[in-house]
Amino acid sequence: MQDKLEKIKKEALDKLADIKKLNLLEALEKEYLGRKGQLTAILRNLSSMSDEDKKKIGKLSNEIKVELSEKFKEAKDIIIGSARGGNYVDVSIPGQKIKQGHIHPITQVMGDLEKLFSSMGFMVLDGPELESDHYNFTALNIPADHPARDMQDTFYIDTKNKNNEHDMVMRTHTSPVQVRAMQKYGAPIKCVVPGRVFRNEATDATHDTTFYQIEGLMVGEGISLANLKAVLQDVLNGIFQEEVGMRIRPGYFPFVEPGLEIDIACTICKGAKCPACKHTGWLEMLGSGMIHPEVLKYGGVDPEKYSGFAFGIGVTRLAMMKYKIDDIRLFNSGDLRFMEQF
Amino acid sequence: MVVGEILEVNKHPQADKLQLAVVDVKTEKLNIVCGAPNIEVGQKVPVALVGAVMPNGMEIKKTKIRGEESCGMMCAEDELGLGDDHAGIMILDEKAKIGTDLSDYLDLDDVIYEVDNKSITNRPDLWGHYGMAREIATFLDKKLKVDASEYDFSKIEVDKKERKIKIKIEDKEKCPRYSAVSMGGIKIEPSPKWLQTKLIASGIRPISNIVDVTNYVMLELAQPMHAFDASKISDTKDIKIVVRNAKKDEILKSLDGETRELDENDLVIASDKEAIAIAGVMGGEESEIDSSSTEIVLESANFNYLSVRKTGHKLALRSEASQRFEKSLDQSTCEQGLVRAVELIKKICPDAYVSSEVADESTFSYKTKVLDIEIEWINKILGAEIETKEIERILTSLGFGLEIKDNIMNVSIPSWRATKDVSIREDIAEEIARIYSYEKIEAKMPVLEMNIPLENESRDLDSKIRRILSGGPALSEVYNYSFVGEEQLKHLGVDFENYIRLANPISSTQTMLRQSLATNLFDNIKKNQARHEEIELFEIGSVYLNFDGQYKKQVEEVDVLPAQEKRLAIVIAGKNTEVFMRVKSVLSFLLDSFDLQAEYTERETAFAWANKIYSTEIRVAGKVLGFVNLLDEQKAKKIGLKKSVAVVEISLVDLLDVLNKQANKTYKQFDKFPPVVRDLAFVVSDKITYNDIKAKMENFHQYIKEVELFDVYQGEEVGKDKKSLAFHINYVAEKTLTGEEVDKIQTKLIKDLENNFEAKVRDF
Repeated sequence: MQDKLEKIKKEALDKLADIKKLNLLEALEKEYLGRKGQLTAILRNLSSMSDEDKKKIGKLSNEIKVELSEKFKEAKDIIIGSARGGNYVDVSIPGQKIKQGHIHPITQVMGDLEKLFSSMGFMVLDGPELESDHYNFTALNIPADHPARDMQDTFYIDTKNKNNEHDMVMRTHTSPVQVRAMQKYGAPIKCVVPGRVFRNEATDATHDTTFYQIEGLMVGEGISLANLKAVLQDVLNGIFQEEVGMRIRPGYFPFVEPGLEIDIACTICKGAKCPACKHTGWLEMLGSGMIHPEVLKYGGVDPEKYSGFAFGIGVTRLAMMKYKIDDIRLFNSGDLRFMEQF
Repeated sequence: MVVGEILEVNKHPQADKLQLAVVDVKTEKLNIVCGAPNIEVGQKVPVALVGAVMPNGMEIKKTKIRGEESCGMMCAEDELGLGDDHAGIMILDEKAKIGTDLSDYLDLDDVIYEVDNKSITNRPDLWGHYGMAREIATFLDKKLKVDASEYDFSKIEVDKKERKIKIKIEDKEKCPRYSAVSMGGIKIEPSPKWLQTKLIASGIRPISNIVDVTNYVMLELAQPMHAFDASKISDTKDIKIVVRNAKKDEILKSLDGETRELDENDLVIASDKEAIAIAGVMGGEESEIDSSSTEIVLESANFNYLSVRKTGHKLALRSEASQRFEKSLDQSTCEQGLVRAVELIKKICPDAYVSSEVADESTFSYKTKVLDIEIEWINKILGAEIETKEIERILTSLGFGLEIKDNIMNVSIPSWRATKDVSIREDIAEEIARIYSYEKIEAKMPVLEMNIPLENESRDLDSKIRRILSGGPALSEVYNYSFVGEEQLKHLGVDFENYIRLANPISSTQTMLRQSLATNLFDNIKKNQARHEEIELFEIGSVYLNFDGQYKKQVEEVDVLPAQEKRLAIVIAGKNTEVFMRVKSVLSFLLDSFDLQAEYTERETAFAWANKIYSTEIRVAGKVLGFVNLLDEQKAKKIGLKKSVAVVEISLVDLLDVLNKQANKTYKQFDKFPPVVRDLAFVVSDKITYNDIKAKMENFHQYIKEVELFDVYQGEEVGKDKKSLAFHINYVAEKTLTGEEVDKIQTKLIKDLENNFEAKVRDF
């Protein structure tokens, strides 16, 4: 009989554990503690037992009855919510909103790039935004009569030097820091130069007078075009966080030879051709090449001993791609409707 | 698109300007509504059938025009993308066969290779089909069918020596070579179809046989040509051509009908009387070939790329010729061009004959440049293993001369590659690599020494600041242009005499370089003020100051660039002057994060736009880092701001300097004995500064360890020109302080404050 009681108790508690609904709970309570319930039946039969059993079983039965009653009540409270002080709590209400600040999207994209290059052992360097004509052009093998120097591409500073020439510009690229870096640190060197650059051109949705680039440079003994391919493939994989297809085309930049244009397989269609890649399957990604021996010389590096490669990435364009921003002017707009999205 | 014949032309019943045509396109007879006035029964015309897609992307559909059905379209030249003519429907030759596919009829069923302009920008030889053919032959490992160098002057035979041409080059720098020949027996008429078709396919509109030949030769050999009407440039049989600089204010009417004003920098071709062409850019109208021309002078010359570019720029005129000259053309193709043009004119103009000897004035003598290159070096710089045989094939096929001795290549550069683009061994490496294929060069990681890259402390500081300000204080980062404009600065009362100016600004709002971040941030507030009650922004960026900075203009020179300082600006806009305190709170939060405290001292503001009262200097560790200012209300109104605006601007160069001098952080033992904290509030004159009171209290007794201001109140309750300050005072000693001890000190402190500052203690 004792075993039977224990069995009833265990059964009742097991069943109770699975119950989540009030009507089922009440049915279960009735099944064990109700007038025709299992426990009640045993208590009713007490009279037919021996005195000793009456005492022992009676006590045990009562204990179990009290215990089960409590458990049923607890379960009931939980189900109807009275365990939380009797009032219903809407836990779906969110916490209070704490005001967020926002970091400019270019900062974020540039930060990722700097982190990537630092992890590959590149120094991160700065240079002046208002730059001398010498570093912006001459030292990069861009001769005096090169079209890139035209007033329509470059912002010149209105003061003139003693030779009556405009000898300062708003840098048109981050490349001048290549030469400054080689002069300062010599070879071998690995560095990147993130920064703001300027072009004197009419603005529209895809052109602005001010945008951002990151420039890279690796100079050492025996650095080859094969090295350039390997490093840039790794860089591109790092930027896009996946293996990306890479294509090299001949390109022309006065400060590299050979000069290369590097495309990636369109990140949207994976090369299947879509509007984003103008149905070519490829996206222009960076300009690169083996550093021109004249540029090495300007940097004070012996081109007979050292060689190297350089590359430039349009960071503003990268940010536009990443966030699908269709108007470059938003970056310098100071418009909070834009900033607050980042 | 097919050839159709017009069977009927009827009036449109609903519209005077429209006609209803019935057109036979062999498979059916179509009703087509047409607006062009030039259609007649019996004409052969190009018909775009239903479903055809026009060059502009429009698809032809069956439609009703003013109630009449139209099944297709008869096309004008421009609609087919064949020219600019929109005067009427293009009328085809009457022999055209009805139903023929239009592209077959026009011989336009060829393949178009689109070559990215970037890849030919530095290759003068690729501005002609012959150069392209040489490239393709190399890629495909085929032999070029024609050798252009065989086109030398010996191929021109004088048929009737009627004229004599004398050339005088006054500026040999700008015109290294000028050759010309005259021809007679010319009859001006449209070119044969093959020639027209080739020009159209290359995007050039056919004009007349002679002009078409000059254009054709330019497309073929990249040598711009020009034809003058001989009778218009000389009254006699002797023709004198002078290549000279224009005279000041010399005027020439160019072929496009525009009157061009020239000066001494522009090179012209002149007869003994007047200028007849702008050298390398465009011919003159006066000497132009017209339908009555019978004698011509053909010009094939070489002009300096820079001179052509400058003149073209100045005149805002970029012609097919000037674009090519700007690339530095090979002087030897002058000869090929002239020979080829004579050959073609004789071919299409049967009565034409050469009427003079070739005149060729030149300083030109090409000395082949030879580069000595180790073969091993090529493979080393490319990181490849290209076989010598392959290197040999590539270079020879591209026209380079090659001799190999003991692993050294002697590479001779052909004239058409020597003007600009090939001069060093790296150029040869590029030739080999691009033909061999960049794809085939196997990527190899460089083997380098490992080292920790140098830190960029300045950028690290920037990113810490960005994280701090966008975190707790929840500010938004903005970027502004480095430029400012006069109007904005004038409204703010800023004297910009000393600002660095752009020589060639692009807009009136961007003419100078900013010397403070604040002014552009005001514009940001204006932009956002309608949508936000409070605006809280920051910017990190450079200002450009008109004194010497640290960067040299050239490594060996003493001249330096103007100082460029990185700054941080924080701007808060809100309802009232409380923003002044708020912006200081944000700054305190920032400095706290670096274990720094700011001291604010009164100072007269240097900023014309700033409120004179709400103005203070920020001093950190004894160094002035910047300022806190409130924008003057009147000035704010002037630039359209409807809010109170407070600005912090500090130098990040100076902040970094302070941080670099800061001692390392060390752990401090807890106080052994518990502090006793007493609050003290008192009223003082509003002229007495917090700085003075704080200093007094902190130095009053050795047990006073810390004094912290927790409330400031100004208002009726404390009286006019007064303020109430409330402090927590922390008493700590090397023993347990009793209440009585602290009370004693505090009483003395109060007395002292009363004596020194006329402070009146407030009861709470």
